[in-house]
Amino acid sequence: MRNRQFIAASVFFLLSLAVPLLVRSDYTLQILFRVFLFAALGLAWNLVGGYAGQLSLGHAAYFGVGAYGLALLSKAGISSWVSLFLGMVLALISAAIIGLVSFRLRGPYFALCTIAFAEVLRLVAKNLPDVTGGDVGTQVPLLFTQSSIKSFYISGVLLTALAFVLTAWIERSKFGYYLMAIREDEDTAMSVGINTSHVKLWSLLISAAITAIGGAFYASLFLFIVPDQVMSIDMSVEIAIVPMLGGAGTLFGPLIGSIVLETASEIFKNVFQEAHLLIYGVLVVIVVIFLPEGIAGTIVNKLRLFKKAPAAPFAAQVPVRPEEEAERTAFRK
Amino acid sequence: MNWFYPCIQAILNGLLTGALYALIGMGMALIFGVMRIVNFTHGAFLMLGMYVSYVFFLKTGINPYVGFIVSGAILFVIGYAVYMRLLRRIPGQVDFMVILLTLGLGLIITDGVQLVFGADYHQINLPLLARNFRLGSQISVNAPWLLSFVIALILAVLLYFVVTHTMFGRAARAIAQNPYASPLMGINVNRVQAISFGIGAAAAGIAGALLLPVFYLYPTVGSQFELKSFVMVVLGGMGSIQGAAIAGLVLGVVESLTSLYWGNEWALAVDFVIFILVLSLKPSGIFGSQRA
Repeated sequence: MRNRQFIAASVFFLLSLAVPLLVRSDYTLQILFRVFLFAALGLAWNLVGGYAGQLSLGHAAYFGVGAYGLALLSKAGISSWVSLFLGMVLALISAAIIGLVSFRLRGPYFALCTIAFAEVLRLVAKNLPDVTGGDVGTQVPLLFTQSSIKSFYISGVLLTALAFVLTAWIERSKFGYYLMAIREDEDTAMSVGINTSHVKLWSLLISAAITAIGGAFYASLFLFIVPDQVMSIDMSVEIAIVPMLGGAGTLFGPLIGSIVLETASEIFKNVFQEAHLLIYGVLVVIVVIFLPEGIAGTIVNKLRLFKKAPAAPFAAQVPVRPEEEAERTAFRK
Repeated sequence: MNWFYPCIQAILNGLLTGALYALIGMGMALIFGVMRIVNFTHGAFLMLGMYVSYVFFLKTGINPYVGFIVSGAILFVIGYAVYMRLLRRIPGQVDFMVILLTLGLGLIITDGVQLVFGADYHQINLPLLARNFRLGSQISVNAPWLLSFVIALILAVLLYFVVTHTMFGRAARAIAQNPYASPLMGINVNRVQAISFGIGAAAAGIAGALLLPVFYLYPTVGSQFELKSFVMVVLGGMGSIQGAAIAGLVLGVVESLTSLYWGNEWALAVDFVIFILVLSLKPSGIFGSQRA
């Protein structure tokens, strides 16, 4: 089964790399770039949100730091690929700070804390016009000088492939099992000797690095960024919705989610015009009510029905006994 | 004495804004306390309340200081229906999924309104807007803000009374204390949670209606207030409605002083810095001792 998955994935990525040979239209390539970009961002988010079960709604912070890192450092005279790398380093630093503070919290508190950090970064970027250009925005250098959209598409596919291979490797490694143990029950994970805060922080660092590179690609394609676009809570939500739609905590979930979401938003763009987020909302509600394990999660469960007992992530939980609940929330008092 | 009057004026303005924040925060705190969920639809409810009283004002000419009752009633029904039709159906009500659902719902409401009304800014004009009360030579109070302050304060006290002194309030507090034992005591958990969600939505809607005369109206107007209501709920101690109310007033004053000394654009950033500090240093909140 796993070998078959591996072969399917390799064929998929090789075919994707060959797409520019067939598709000549820049417009289609740009949409496909978006699909792969959000698949990569979704895979990155999936490490923290899916496997470790920490609902981060502040990934726009790393996305924005990557984008602004590229823009501002290359404005300061550093070559664009070096600034992309330095932007990633900056995102790692911010992820370390954000992680150290917010991973002490659980559940909704964690989600709110990540939002707060992303919002602080957005407001700082907005309110320091001398450094970031403020609300007016700032220019971003083009990373590829020749046949740019094709190169963007290829690098989007490669980034997704990188995130995919990384996820596949983590999924089978000890590190991945630590993450899943934390998702299922953090206290038990701690009691069997997993250094949970360490493990969670590492997953966030990997996730932030990929997200920052994605942000830099996105910024460079548009050539111009403003804080309300790259650091807004809408961006965080979009990054989180992609894998949850496809199936959080599954390998193929973010890919499926991105394909479904971006295709749907492209189709409905002309119908709803400015209200294009409407379709996101509708899809999210449908998935939560009817497919609570996401598209991929539900398919996997259906397949597993004939085999062993399913162990799908985010299945309905058995109600916790009050005394357990009291212990879990003890940190609040 | 040059600094004295501007400072007093800023604190006064902060309290006037803070009463509206308090109403928004209390709605959020009630929902969080009884259901343990973070309601990401709160901003959309507030925006919807604004649009309801806007349409009501255009059709009948009745100003929002009376029209807020209509907003409140409609939003209560919407909140009740959302709970009964959608939230209740989530198996086990995993908070991950509930957050996702309320996020999706918020997107639907916001973009639905945008589809119907467009993304343009609207504003209504009342003769009351130009009226100011002067206190002494230096301090003045804008009449619409004073009126909304009084209404919000009355409603906040009313809500507090409902939660502390009625059967519904007692049931709500019981669920907040122990969601597993309360149904065994004969409490209809679904009904109480649905009513709480309705009241929370109504509080946001009423605050929206009261904001209409003094604010611009556009589909995404709610998101800033939603973010502030998160801050209030955490500051007041998650789920404590009197804590959220005090936090609302404090937030109003802090924002107003920040605007005075540091510039309006930093107000929200200061909110979030306080929020992060409270979450990391004292996650039980500052103002709340007892959960609602």
